[in-house]
Amino acid sequence: MTLPTLQVTGLVKRYGANTVLAGVDISVAAGEVLCILGPNGAGKTTLISAILGLVKADGGEISLFNQLQSGCQRSVALRQQLGVMLQIGSLSANLTVVEQCDLFASYYASGYSAAELVRLAGLEQHCTQRFGRLSGGQKQRLLFALALAGKPKLVFLDEPTLGMDVEARRGLWQQVHQLKQQGVAIVLTTHYLEEAEQLADRITVLSQGSIVASGSPAELKALTQYKVISCSSSLTDAALLALPGMLQLKRDNDRICLHSSQAEQSVKALLLADNSVSQLEVRPVALEQAFLQLTQTNGPQQEHAA
Amino acid sequence: MNTARIYRSEAWYDLVSVWRTPGFVLPALAFPTVFYLFFGVLFNSGAASGYMLVTYGCFGIMGPAMFNFAINIASDRGHGWLTLKRLSPMPVAAYLLAKFGTALVFSLIIILLLFSIAVLFAGVQLHSTQWLLLAMVLLIGTVPFALIGLILGLTLSEKAAPGVVNLIYLPMALLSGLWLPIHLFPALMQHASWIWPSYHLSQLGLKVIGMDQGYALWLHLLCLLVSSLILAMLAVWSFKRMTTASA
Repeated sequence: MTLPTLQVTGLVKRYGANTVLAGVDISVAAGEVLCILGPNGAGKTTLISAILGLVKADGGEISLFNQLQSGCQRSVALRQQLGVMLQIGSLSANLTVVEQCDLFASYYASGYSAAELVRLAGLEQHCTQRFGRLSGGQKQRLLFALALAGKPKLVFLDEPTLGMDVEARRGLWQQVHQLKQQGVAIVLTTHYLEEAEQLADRITVLSQGSIVASGSPAELKALTQYKVISCSSSLTDAALLALPGMLQLKRDNDRICLHSSQAEQSVKALLLADNSVSQLEVRPVALEQAFLQLTQTNGPQQEHAA
Repeated sequence: MNTARIYRSEAWYDLVSVWRTPGFVLPALAFPTVFYLFFGVLFNSGAASGYMLVTYGCFGIMGPAMFNFAINIASDRGHGWLTLKRLSPMPVAAYLLAKFGTALVFSLIIILLLFSIAVLFAGVQLHSTQWLLLAMVLLIGTVPFALIGLILGLTLSEKAAPGVVNLIYLPMALLSGLWLPIHLFPALMQHASWIWPSYHLSQLGLKVIGMDQGYALWLHLLCLLVSSLILAMLAVWSFKRMTTASA
C-alpha cells in the first residue's frame, strides 16, 4: 500500500469569530489528481495556504511526504519537492521569460533548465519578452512552468486556467495528465467543472469551510439522485409538474427539460398521461448541476416550492 | 543544490530588474549629482565643495538604499512574487543580500559620479587615502538605510511605500545637516540631529576631510552601530509578522 503524499486531517482555520475551515480532511497519493471544487469563499485557497504554511492552522494535522508539519515551517528539503502555482503570482515585470526561468531553475537541485522551462510554458516565441508585456494566458503558462521548475513530486495548482483561452486550457490539461502519468501528486482548485470532470481522479466539494461531498466524478454524479428527463409533450407545465417525482421544469422551444428525483416513476407516469410523448431522453445530471446542488444551502426542492 | 548559484542569479536579476526601471534609476542618480553640481560647484568652491561632497554623498547613497528595499519588497509582497519565492527552496538570505547588493552598486555609482564632479569641476583635492576612506565610509554607511528600507518594505503596502520613504528620507536628510551645514542650525536642532544615523554618517565622512564638528570618532561609530542593530532587530521582527499575498 502506498502512503499518501499529502494527508490533511481535521484542519481548522479561524479568522476571529469566522471559521474558514471547519475540520477538513483530504489526501492525495502519487499519480493522483485531487480537485477541490467550491464557490468563492468556500475556503479552497485558505486550505492550500495552510498546507503550504502561508497561514497557520488552528487545529488538525498536515502531513507532507509522511512528515507531520507543525506551524508555518516547511523544510528546504520539502520545498525542493513542491511545485506551487498560486492565484496571485505576478513575477517581476521587468524580467524576461527566459530570465525568470533561469532564476527559478537556479533554486532547485535537480530540476529543469531555463530552456526546458520556456518550452514547458510554450513561450519559445516570447522568451525575450518581459513578464509585464505577456498576455494573461501567457503569464499563467509561465507560472505553471515555474511550478514545475524543480520536477516536484507534489504540485498545487490554484485556479490554474484562470484567464486562459480554450486552446491554452486544453494544453494545460494535457500537461496535468502527463504529470499524473509521471507519478506526480496533484491538488487542483477550480471553478470550472468541466476541468474537474476532465482531470480529477477524486473531487472534493468544499462549501463554507466544510467538505460536503467527496469521491470520483462518477460517484459524485451518482450521489445526486436527480435525473434529467427531456422530451416533447403536449401536456401543460402544471400537469407535468404534478407527475410523481418531478421537481423542476424548463421549456426550450418545443423541448421540455424536467428534473426528477424518481426518474423511473416519472417516466412511467408521463407515458401514461400523454401517449404523444416523443424524443424521450433520460440522463444523469452533469457534474456542474451536481455541484450546484451540493453547494446550495437551499436544496432544489425548496427552490421549486418558492 | 548549488547555493552559490542561487545567490548569484538572485543578485544579478535583482540588479537587472531595478536597472530596467528608469523611474528609479534616473532620480536615484540625478538628484545627488544635480544638487551637488548646483550647490557644491556653481554656488560654492574650495572648502565648501569638499564639505558638500560628503553631505550630498550621504544624501545620494541613502535614497537608493531606502527606495530599492522599501518599494521593491512591498511590491514583491503585494504581487505574490515573494510568496512564490518563499515556497521555493530559495534561502531568504539570498533575496535580501541581492537587494543589498543592488543598493551597494547604486551607492558605488553615485560615489564615483560625485567624486568625478568634485575633481573635474569643483577642484576638490584630497589624498588618495582620503578618497578611499571616504568611499568606504559611504559604502558601509548604506547598511542602516537599507535596513530602514527593509522594515518599510516589509510593513507597508506597495502604494504607501514611496510616499512614506520620501516622508522619512527628505526630513532626515535636512535635519541631519545634509543640505544645510549642521553648525548653522540652532543648538537644540543640532542636539536633535544625534538621533539620525545620517548625521553620524556625515560626521564620519567629514572627519575624513577634517571638517566634522569635532566629536570623538568612537561616539559616531557607536551611534551608527547601535542604530543599525536596533534597525536589524526591527527588520527581523517585521519579517516574522510580514503579510504576503497568499491569494
